[in-house]
Amino acid sequence: MNGNDDGFYYLRGIPVPETPLPDQNPQPWQKTEVVGRPLPRVDAYERVSGNAIYPSDIVLPNMLYAAVLRCPHPHAIVGKIDTSAAERMPGVRAVITGSSPEADFSWPYSPEMKTKLFNPHCRFEGEEVAAVAADTIYQAWDAVRAVSVNYNILAFVSDEAKALATDAPSVHAGGNKLKIDRYSRGDVEQGFADADVVLEETYRSECELHTPTESHGCVARWDGDHLSIWQSTQGVYSIQATVAKIMDLPLSKVRVIGHYMGGGFGSKLGADKFTIIAAVLAKITARPVKLFMTREETLIAAGNRPPVSMRLKAGVKRDGTLTTLDFSAVGTGGAYPAGGTSLVDWLIRDLYLCPNVRTETTDVYVNAGPARAFRAPGHPQCSWALEQMLDALAERIGMDPLDLRLKNIPSYSQARPGNPPYVSTGLRECITEGAKVFGWHEARKKTAEPTAGSHIRRGVGMASALWIGGGGGPPSTIVVKLFSDGSVSLNMGASDIGTGTKTVMAMVVSEELGVKPDVIQIENADTGTTQYATPSGGSKTVPTESPAVRAAAIHVKQQLLALAAVDLKTDESSLTLIGDAVVSQADPERQIRIRDISGLKKRGLIIGVGYRGPNPEGKVINPFAAQFCEVEVNTLTGEVKVIRFLGAHDSGRVMDRLTFDNQVFGGITMGIGLGLTEARILDRNQTGKMVNRNWHDYKIPTAMDVPANIISLPIETDNREANTTGTKGLGEPVTIPTAGAIANAVYNAVGVRITGTPINPLQLCSALALLRKEE
Amino acid sequence: MMPEFTYIRAKSLKDAFSHLSGEGARIHAGGTDILGCMRDKIFDVKSVVSISGLNDLKGIRETGEGLHIGALVTLTEIAENPAVNGRYPALAQGAASASSPQLRNQGTIGGNLCQKPRCWYYRGEFHCLRKGGDRCFAVAGENHYHCILGGEGCYIVHPSDTAPALIAYGAAVHIEGRKGKRSIPIENLFVLPSQDVTRETVLEPGEIVTEILLPPPAKQMKSSYRKVRARRSWDFAVAGVALALQLKGDIVSSARIVLSGAAPIPWRSKEAEDSITGKILDTANARKTGAAAVSGAQPLEHNGYKIQLFRGIIEEALITISAA
Repeated sequence: MNGNDDGFYYLRGIPVPETPLPDQNPQPWQKTEVVGRPLPRVDAYERVSGNAIYPSDIVLPNMLYAAVLRCPHPHAIVGKIDTSAAERMPGVRAVITGSSPEADFSWPYSPEMKTKLFNPHCRFEGEEVAAVAADTIYQAWDAVRAVSVNYNILAFVSDEAKALATDAPSVHAGGNKLKIDRYSRGDVEQGFADADVVLEETYRSECELHTPTESHGCVARWDGDHLSIWQSTQGVYSIQATVAKIMDLPLSKVRVIGHYMGGGFGSKLGADKFTIIAAVLAKITARPVKLFMTREETLIAAGNRPPVSMRLKAGVKRDGTLTTLDFSAVGTGGAYPAGGTSLVDWLIRDLYLCPNVRTETTDVYVNAGPARAFRAPGHPQCSWALEQMLDALAERIGMDPLDLRLKNIPSYSQARPGNPPYVSTGLRECITEGAKVFGWHEARKKTAEPTAGSHIRRGVGMASALWIGGGGGPPSTIVVKLFSDGSVSLNMGASDIGTGTKTVMAMVVSEELGVKPDVIQIENADTGTTQYATPSGGSKTVPTESPAVRAAAIHVKQQLLALAAVDLKTDESSLTLIGDAVVSQADPERQIRIRDISGLKKRGLIIGVGYRGPNPEGKVINPFAAQFCEVEVNTLTGEVKVIRFLGAHDSGRVMDRLTFDNQVFGGITMGIGLGLTEARILDRNQTGKMVNRNWHDYKIPTAMDVPANIISLPIETDNREANTTGTKGLGEPVTIPTAGAIANAVYNAVGVRITGTPINPLQLCSALALLRKEE
Repeated sequence: MMPEFTYIRAKSLKDAFSHLSGEGARIHAGGTDILGCMRDKIFDVKSVVSISGLNDLKGIRETGEGLHIGALVTLTEIAENPAVNGRYPALAQGAASASSPQLRNQGTIGGNLCQKPRCWYYRGEFHCLRKGGDRCFAVAGENHYHCILGGEGCYIVHPSDTAPALIAYGAAVHIEGRKGKRSIPIENLFVLPSQDVTRETVLEPGEIVTEILLPPPAKQMKSSYRKVRARRSWDFAVAGVALALQLKGDIVSSARIVLSGAAPIPWRSKEAEDSITGKILDTANARKTGAAAVSGAQPLEHNGYKIQLFRGIIEEALITISAA
């Protein structure tokens, strides 16, 4: 691991080209006019008014609708399929199964594991068995139900702990153990010997589902042998590469468009099976085909945050020095290789200064839907364990949890070879500034006072975090066009996954060229018209794209000044761009408006190209965070109410204060889901089917579960060395420490440690009753 | 997606009765439950008979008999009605705590009483006992939210937040069908699995709940509804309790204690009522009453927490009402 390697999960299985070095190496911004201000999104009106066309809004002439028959069992062999009744139904234009020659493609669950598109051996409930295209979506579903399938139902395993038993049903030949990863440094046993206090605890983080507002799906259309795909996605180029490879098409004949998209959280990083299915159906019928999953389908078959059982044994000295962390975990990414334990030990390895560390993570197969990257893969799970352990250690040595963390702050990455330093680490400031604004010490003092009489107890807790990625890096190519009237077009490949990418990039252009963000036309996320971009994931889109946008804008400015210099009969180095005019610094009287520059009038257009330069050698760029919260616990019912939250985040320069705060609020909301309400539930003892596959039974937090009082506190570290905009990622760190902070606050309130997510009345009520009995 | 069905908008009750006599006919009032049931294919629906245009079933009016609530009155109307809030606060609280604002705007009191259970096996792709299958999947399955009282063969909990309050107030429910009208205590509306596992109410096919009648509240009555859920909105009761107590000074002279989330029907706990009747309303007695309510509980593998939860919520509700 080095400082430029955070492109892991979101690049898995797709080619990543190199882009040229940028021509520009601009100095860091000193004072900014636009960047950093709280500007509304450039596409806010379109989004709010309904004018924005999301992929699910696409309706093309002669378009058909498709639906997929999915295996209703967690483990079965598909036998005879009878599609004759379905084919005869009104409006049905095509029915495909594993025996259709047109659908004879392989699907890469991972680079190493490929199956058929319609896999006759279904290993999870929801695996694709057949698909239908019909004139209406209702006809398509009626036809799906009319397909009859003989399933040979096999024994299944739902539980990752049981999957390793010798008599467990095998998901794949060769057993259920996918892989074991080990890491160690120092001498763990010596670390225990050096410790004054050693604690050991087991933790569990339940399976969490992405639940983006827009479901997963696409529209596919063939024009001759050209395939166009409109898909709700985080990365159009990732889809293009995978579809071209699977269907053996030149990249130039696969165009993927994803202008707007309604959330992904990691579940829409690339091509999906439905992409290929829609393309096949469109080919057979010679008509465009729309295929979007129902909500229920997305909950069983569009990814999840892997469930994981963790054990952590830790040692600490009385003065707060961590001596050792010994961690093991068993997790599952479901029925195929999907990173079931991916990064689940990273915070153990790297968040706190600790000389002796040992981790062992075991990834196993179970008969459940494959995991997908989910907002900060592995990190919230690990944080759930580590941050609760830190608090338990602090209590045992009589230290404020804050001070224990402050005692162990690293200035370099301990887990990467050569211990490279961080370009910036705001961890200390996140904790101390966050505590100040939150009123940590006062609040802790208050909760420590006896609360006679009332059965409602208050507690405060905190947790800190880092995110392994967030530095960004090449490749990125941006094109900025200046029209003859001074208005601007920005062309970039990256998707705006709801984080405000388009707005932030327009602000960068605005900063350099002086044009207002709302006169910048933005063309993005289209392989036909924009340049290669990696998927928007890993909290790297702003640090990756914004320096390239800046370079492109500067490239435009240089050409503009050169043209102006001809008209002004002066040297271009003496010229500067102020508002809509080019002005001589030596003689401000000497100026010309952009629209009057004769060279620009003649050409009509200036094109600037910007590339993303490399990150500094031997350094690590990671965002840091600390979150604080106050909760109220009803000791009679186990209800937890989150009263307030504060997120202190070091993500380098704040580009847009509004979108920054939005991320913080959203990440905390999602973390409240992990901590208090969400868990996938499989009928593990009987059918293996998911029982809570709807938005009532799978409980994402509502507005009533999230406090109105959330403070976003940016900690702006000096990050100039990282890139030319001084930015680090934000989208993932905002959800890492949330659940652990809540667990610590609940403990502070009532003295009960809930070690498995979610902390709901089901768990807490019994634990509180037990505690009362002990008293 | 939906099965094919015909939609009939009834012009009168009589018109509705004639359409409801057909096989596979189902009543549509607010539509919030029937829509989900159809989409989840819980039962066959051939025709949907909408009574939503029948103005006779709308409105809240007061007579000497008490407060009449039409079956089509929405939960929002009930939650915001001054008469309900003033004299029947438990009902207002129950209506306000059901589901989400959008669903309360649409859902009716009649539908809230007659809604289908939310058991995820019943609602899911499981051919369970209640749907004509041969077993209750909750017995050996994921029974976190299932009943601890009154389960026999089937372990659903009754989903209504208004029914416990209505039972606590001794409301009557007016039912009408082709064969005529009848009025029964609302307590007798619901059917235990041991009586008939395939139905939730005593309504005969084609019968419609037309009105709820709340008797005038006794003087010195204190009442409340309190609900615990797994999230704070858009969620059914994990545990709930409706209280209607008559007090003579500090002493509880009579009590009705009805639980939601406990049993396949809104569960009137005679044990709890007996425990508090004639006693001073204090913390110790509140605690004993909570314990009495669950004395006969028979939890399944994952719902044992409900014993503690009901003890807690009943204790809290009694303490809260004593201070009110």
